[in-house]
Amino acid sequence: MMRLRTVLRPATIAPLAIVMLASALGACGGGGGDACDGRLTVYSGRTEPLIGPILDSFNEQSDIDVCVRYGDSAELALVIDAEGDRSEVDVFISQSPGAIGYLAGEQRLAPLSEATLGLVEDRFESPNGHWVGLTGRVRVLVYNTDLVDAASLPESIFELTGPEYRDKVGVASTNGSFQDFVTAARGRLGDAEVLAFLEGLAANGAQNYASNAAIVEAVGRGEISYGLVNHYYALQARRENPDLPVANHFFADADLGKLILVSAGGVLATSDQPEAAETLLQFLLGGESQTYFSEQTFEYPLAAGVAPTGELANQPLASIVGPEGDLAALGGGLEATAAMIRESGLGR
Amino acid sequence: MTSLLDQTAARAGRSVLRPPRLLVAIAVGVALVFVAPFAYLVWRNVELGADLGQVLRDEITQTAIRNTLVLAAAVTIAATVLGTSLAWLVVRTDLPGRRIWAAVLPLPLVVPSFVGGLALLAAFAPGGLVVEALQPLGIDTMPQVRGFTGAFSVLTLLTFPYVYLPVAARLRAVPISIEEGARALGRGPFAVFRTVVLPQAAGSIWAGALIVFLYVLSEFGAVKLLDYHTLTTEIDAAKLIDQSAAAVHSLVLGLLALICVSAERIITRRRMAFEAVSTAPIRPAALRRWKPLATAFVAAVVTLALLLPIAVLGLWTSRGLTGDRISGTGVGSAGVATEAWNTAWVSVIAALVTVALVLPLAFLAARYRSRASAPASVVVTAGFALPGLVIALAIVTWTFRTSVGATLYQTFPMLVLAYVVHFGAQALRASQVAVSAVPRRLDDAARSLGAGRWRRLRTIDGPLVLPGLATGFGMVMMSVMKELPATRLLAPIEFSTLATEIYGLAEETLYARAGFRSLLLILVSGLLTWLLVIRPQSPPEQAP
Repeated sequence: MMRLRTVLRPATIAPLAIVMLASALGACGGGGGDACDGRLTVYSGRTEPLIGPILDSFNEQSDIDVCVRYGDSAELALVIDAEGDRSEVDVFISQSPGAIGYLAGEQRLAPLSEATLGLVEDRFESPNGHWVGLTGRVRVLVYNTDLVDAASLPESIFELTGPEYRDKVGVASTNGSFQDFVTAARGRLGDAEVLAFLEGLAANGAQNYASNAAIVEAVGRGEISYGLVNHYYALQARRENPDLPVANHFFADADLGKLILVSAGGVLATSDQPEAAETLLQFLLGGESQTYFSEQTFEYPLAAGVAPTGELANQPLASIVGPEGDLAALGGGLEATAAMIRESGLGR
Repeated sequence: MTSLLDQTAARAGRSVLRPPRLLVAIAVGVALVFVAPFAYLVWRNVELGADLGQVLRDEITQTAIRNTLVLAAAVTIAATVLGTSLAWLVVRTDLPGRRIWAAVLPLPLVVPSFVGGLALLAAFAPGGLVVEALQPLGIDTMPQVRGFTGAFSVLTLLTFPYVYLPVAARLRAVPISIEEGARALGRGPFAVFRTVVLPQAAGSIWAGALIVFLYVLSEFGAVKLLDYHTLTTEIDAAKLIDQSAAAVHSLVLGLLALICVSAERIITRRRMAFEAVSTAPIRPAALRRWKPLATAFVAAVVTLALLLPIAVLGLWTSRGLTGDRISGTGVGSAGVATEAWNTAWVSVIAALVTVALVLPLAFLAARYRSRASAPASVVVTAGFALPGLVIALAIVTWTFRTSVGATLYQTFPMLVLAYVVHFGAQALRASQVAVSAVPRRLDDAARSLGAGRWRRLRTIDGPLVLPGLATGFGMVMMSVMKELPATRLLAPIEFSTLATEIYGLAEETLYARAGFRSLLLILVSGLLTWLLVIRPQSPPEQAP
């Protein structure tokens, strides 16, 4: 039986209730159709710790104020799509080409000006100029340094279907970056060959994981010896846990396994301040931002002549082929990619 | 005396059964809001031209449906056994440390399932902390934690409070006299449990079990992490790249939920009938020689469900204590305090609103015979099985395309609405059990003494129903605290809570930040649950 008097004792509840109500009323005042008060509205699929500092810097240096919603790239893209023509979003920053390519395919992005597109090589922007790459990540084979002899690492991703890799390789078959790799591979090799490779991986007992991060953790524990991931997860994980026995192995320069994927930005076709939006994208491709991404998030700078740092310094961008032409498929080709991965039995 | 009251009730029968029109109007109005996500799914399927029949014939989909149902059934059975036995041990026996157990046993509800999954992997996967610790002892084979075993273990440990909370609330109200009678007849504590306590708590047990079942249908974080393929992982994989597949799979999930909820109603219709209420203090049953075993059991559950995740989160946090802006914990930043405060007030207010909105429907369903109450209850309850992303997209779609909705878009009231739709089921089931446990004869007696409807509500129903409502409030509050997709997509822009940060951080392997926020989440929910749910319910104790 509840002691009503205890629950409702004013001394306990009243102050809490009053402050909470005040917070709620305060919050109700905000929000609504134009919660950003004319500020530049950014939906960011990159997390706050990784991109927040550089957006703060943009706020300080320019006369444009940004207002950011952080989230999962795919979910944010779906919401922008559902918002339709009334969307207040000006800029979309995507973790991967897939999510922003989807919006481009739905005709939701405005073509960018040459002043923005000219900052990066052609291969790092959408074929129609609807989005521009901001940073690069390279696909690598992460391996456990206690379990694997570095001298024995493969030159090509296609070696992973061999018997010495049986049950030892982790993939994230439903993850955007793996799907982007498959899409790019289809563009270069044709569907039949890619399907055969995926079936080979599946038949060789490749283990399925939820994400790049989960693969790096599993490799670190020694649950598996190898994993197909983007390069910066191992670096990030080692920053927090220097004892983690994981390292990146880069496939040979021309190998399809050494694919470069980009994080990207675009301006919404419905934006009411497209110029400010492009100013932000140009800032993200400027020297300060590109240096920040290179040094703090361990990614490839794509512009401003900034050189990659750390282990990427030995793997110059020019040595990595692609993704010329491959990205064209990313708008409409993802569905076929997903179907192919399903068909291969990978992750089942 | 009983017969006289029964006669009174019988004479007043017709008016008792016919619900007040206002009540029906409010209940139906509230239920209509819950139709929104289902209507959205149907509309999406039509718009995308999805072929339900073809998808259902697909082998992978069939496997996903089977996996989903097997996992949901297994977790429901295990969590129900666990939750019920824990509730009985804590409320009705002389188990040592009952007050502490009562304060911590609800808390696994607030541990996000993917955090639970990460903790399980960090501890029990090959090369994990526990495995490494046991290796010197010669134990080097552990059960495979990925797949069904892992998903089953994590979800059972994190969902048993859905059963524990309502059953504990119910057991506090069951008259001790019946139990004492059985004991006087020489029955041991476990025989008393089986023959007396179990039947009395049946309504609450069913209510909790159904919530667990629906939760597992909608569960996504742990199953994805542990690589167990269910409908939700299919929806996630297809959400962007094959939207018609995602829409069909979501619809299948919704239909499964509607079918299961309807089936449960048919099975339990009679059990919910009439349950007694006691206000007398509880004299706990003596466990005697079972005491050490029972204590070890409760301690083991708390260790696995709460201490293990806390230990793993603590380890992550400690790694970031010396870190920089990115790899650090972010302990010192003002952001964390704001996130914690936002988490607290949003969850409390959303839970209050949810309970208040579903209460009329609970009264309608439990007290009156109304044609509206069955479909309304089913739709409110089944909504809990839909993934948060579906509910968020439904709300975006329905509101943003109208000018009135657009002014509310991504405001605090809209966020609360999303929580109500998502978690209304928890409050509804708890409230229904609470309302139907109030003996009708008390109400009838008061009526015959001339007490009006509002006075009866205030003096009889209110105090008796309150513990059940508090339980529903607590469950909704903890669910809101850890809710992710709807919060991230529908909260006012630049409004961050602990949960919105945690998932993205873990995905970026920023475990120090994610771990610190998860610990804070458990702390905040622990304080609020104790303050608002546990402490007010703890009865005055009396020696056995």
